[in-house]
Amino acid sequence: MNLDDCYNFHDFRKLAKKKLPAPIFHYIDGGSDDEVTLNRNTNAFNDCDLVPNILASVGEPDLSTTVFGKKIDMPLFLSPCAMQSLYTPEGDKASARAAEKHGTMYSMSTMASFSIEEVAEISNCPKLFQLYVHKDQSITDDLIDRCRAANFNGLCLTVDTLVAGNRERDHRTGFTTPPKLTLESLLSFAMRPEWVFKYLTNKKFELANIKNKTDKGTNIAKSVIDYINEQYDPAMNWKDAEYCIKRWNGPFALKGVMSVEDAKRAIDIGCTAIMISNHGGRQLDGSRSPFDQVKAISDAVGDKLEIILDGGVRRGTHVLKALAAGAKACSFGKMFLFSLGAGGQQGVERVLQNMHDEIRRNMILMGCKSLKELDNSKIIYKK
Amino acid sequence: MNLNDCHNFGDFRKLAKKKLPSPIFHYIDGAADDEITYARNTSAFDDVDLVPNVLRGVENVDLSTTIFGKKLDLPFYLAPTALQRLFHYDGERAVGKAAKKYNTMFGVSALATVSVEEISSMIDTPKMFQFYFHKDRGLNDACLERAKAAKFDVMALTVDTITGGNRERDLRTGFTSPPKLTLSSLFSFATKPMWGINYLTKGKFELPHLQDHVKEGTDTNTSIGNYFSTMLDQSMNWKDAEKLCSQWGGHFALKGIMSVDDAKRAVDIGCTGIMVSNHGGRQLDGSRAPFDQLAEIVDAVGDKLDVICEGGIHRGTHMLKALSLGAKACSGGRLYLYALAAGGQAGVERAIEKYKTELIRDMKLMGCTKISDLNRNNLRFR
Repeated sequence: MNLDDCYNFHDFRKLAKKKLPAPIFHYIDGGSDDEVTLNRNTNAFNDCDLVPNILASVGEPDLSTTVFGKKIDMPLFLSPCAMQSLYTPEGDKASARAAEKHGTMYSMSTMASFSIEEVAEISNCPKLFQLYVHKDQSITDDLIDRCRAANFNGLCLTVDTLVAGNRERDHRTGFTTPPKLTLESLLSFAMRPEWVFKYLTNKKFELANIKNKTDKGTNIAKSVIDYINEQYDPAMNWKDAEYCIKRWNGPFALKGVMSVEDAKRAIDIGCTAIMISNHGGRQLDGSRSPFDQVKAISDAVGDKLEIILDGGVRRGTHVLKALAAGAKACSFGKMFLFSLGAGGQQGVERVLQNMHDEIRRNMILMGCKSLKELDNSKIIYKK
Repeated sequence: MNLNDCHNFGDFRKLAKKKLPSPIFHYIDGAADDEITYARNTSAFDDVDLVPNVLRGVENVDLSTTIFGKKLDLPFYLAPTALQRLFHYDGERAVGKAAKKYNTMFGVSALATVSVEEISSMIDTPKMFQFYFHKDRGLNDACLERAKAAKFDVMALTVDTITGGNRERDLRTGFTSPPKLTLSSLFSFATKPMWGINYLTKGKFELPHLQDHVKEGTDTNTSIGNYFSTMLDQSMNWKDAEKLCSQWGGHFALKGIMSVDDAKRAVDIGCTGIMVSNHGGRQLDGSRAPFDQLAEIVDAVGDKLDVICEGGIHRGTHMLKALSLGAKACSGGRLYLYALAAGGQAGVERAIEKYKTELIRDMKLMGCTKISDLNRNNLRFR
């Protein structure tokens, strides 16, 4: 099996599983607790049907939309994901280059393996930076200022990670950053010599954005979970978010909003967008899926800020349903990370091309010329 | 396993799988994306229950219904499907003769492998021609004229294939027409020698309605998805449909209507019927199942044109449920295609006989003697 055999989520996942050591694969693939929310994130789309209109003289549909003040060529972009060098040595650079090629947005995690400056230098795609509020405010300030200097287009503050989720697969595989070689995982690494060779011969693994500020990003075998629990400020509140918005003074989103009430409050503090997300089912298991909640939030605040649906998206039709329910765009993490693990930059390009083709095909089949035509009248929820 | 062991949809499918090279089997069996809509098309019927009435004297059951001005002996017919000679060397000849025997409608695809003229000379029972709107207007006119000259009763314009669906099984098996022999599919063809012998010895494979106009009808390898995406006119609109409707001048249906608004518009442009259909789940995955959408559409236009429920039907009870909701008739493709592959004309006849037997039994159990006895009082949604 190689990249040419990958047509959908399952194919990319399968190939990534072949190529990545088990602890790393399961770090992407897993969710928290029993992974009930993780599964629901995708299944939720199946409880809603698209209703096409025919004979609509569609021609070539316009798939472009505007998020964070930037026009993107399709209503789907790359979610911010940590430590992408674990999946392919070029990590974030590979993702950003693929995003540029397909005219969509790349998002950088605070815990990226290349720095804000390094990625800004190699890709002109629209860029979103994902921020965590650190206990040490100077780290947070520094990140915001550097994003501005590097011409990032938007900032999103993650608000669903005050404490780390219970990712049991990581407990079992011993996933840490950098990976800790336990006896059990050793076999899995040994069976993937290509990955190990690349990992050892490329740039030393680091959390590039924060390496000068904390020793946690470097040599210590420290789990992501521990990093989150030690460095992020669990006392973060609405005032802290407002502070970040003022300091940034540009398009700004809260990532991880799930309640209508919080969405309204996001407007009050000056957000231009929200990302409806449960962190890919990796934090609070049993919490609601983004698609189950998007319509209620859109009905309340859809005219006042941009709604991004983040979580569970695996198909062009999922994007169409999210947009019909009121989202402006979708973002996805797992699916593109699998493609990154499966084939580096080429893998991400293929996944973006596939999703673009699916969105385009399905727009035509729906009889829609532009994304604006996707509204509530195009979907019916099953009872 | 042989034809005598086939008692239901699943059995015919199993035998077809044994007989067909895998790319061809999966072309029939597969659908778009994750095949969620395909699965829902059938499982939708399970969300409603039949409520029988007893003590009604049901010794004689009349299954006949009238659609498009034609009386059929059965409340279901054989939907138009492409490329039938790939599934059995007799192809449309077998299906047409079986339809005639049971006096039900035979749908002939624009991508049929036997010509409308030959079919017309073979059977005098009701016939429907299924039409794709091509970019090549000359081809469109020729199809229409030929179907008219061959005395076809109904013209059905397919409106849900404005671009090809994402049929991932075909991508993997390399299904094209005629089949492309890849290394991986070669094995599958090699292990089904009878299919290969018949394919090579029973007359050249052709698409008679297209071959004078396009190279896709002949020897070039092209996929069906590719045909939809490159040959069909994506700018097709309501005016084009209206023009075709009046150019045809007889019973005219739109195949692939799913929204109430579109159903109303079909009435406005002069259609006498619509097929509520999502192309057997082969086009837009995640779209609504015909049975889920049927009631709304019947409520809006059921008194103005014939509403046909197409897709997902595996059982007589499925038909009873659709007819109770207000469909005038049901139709299906896989309904008889597996049977065609499994046993040619005898296979299709056996399938029709099975559905007919089920219908009669189920009508009696429901306490109904004619199709018009069926109504929504017979149903409870869970």
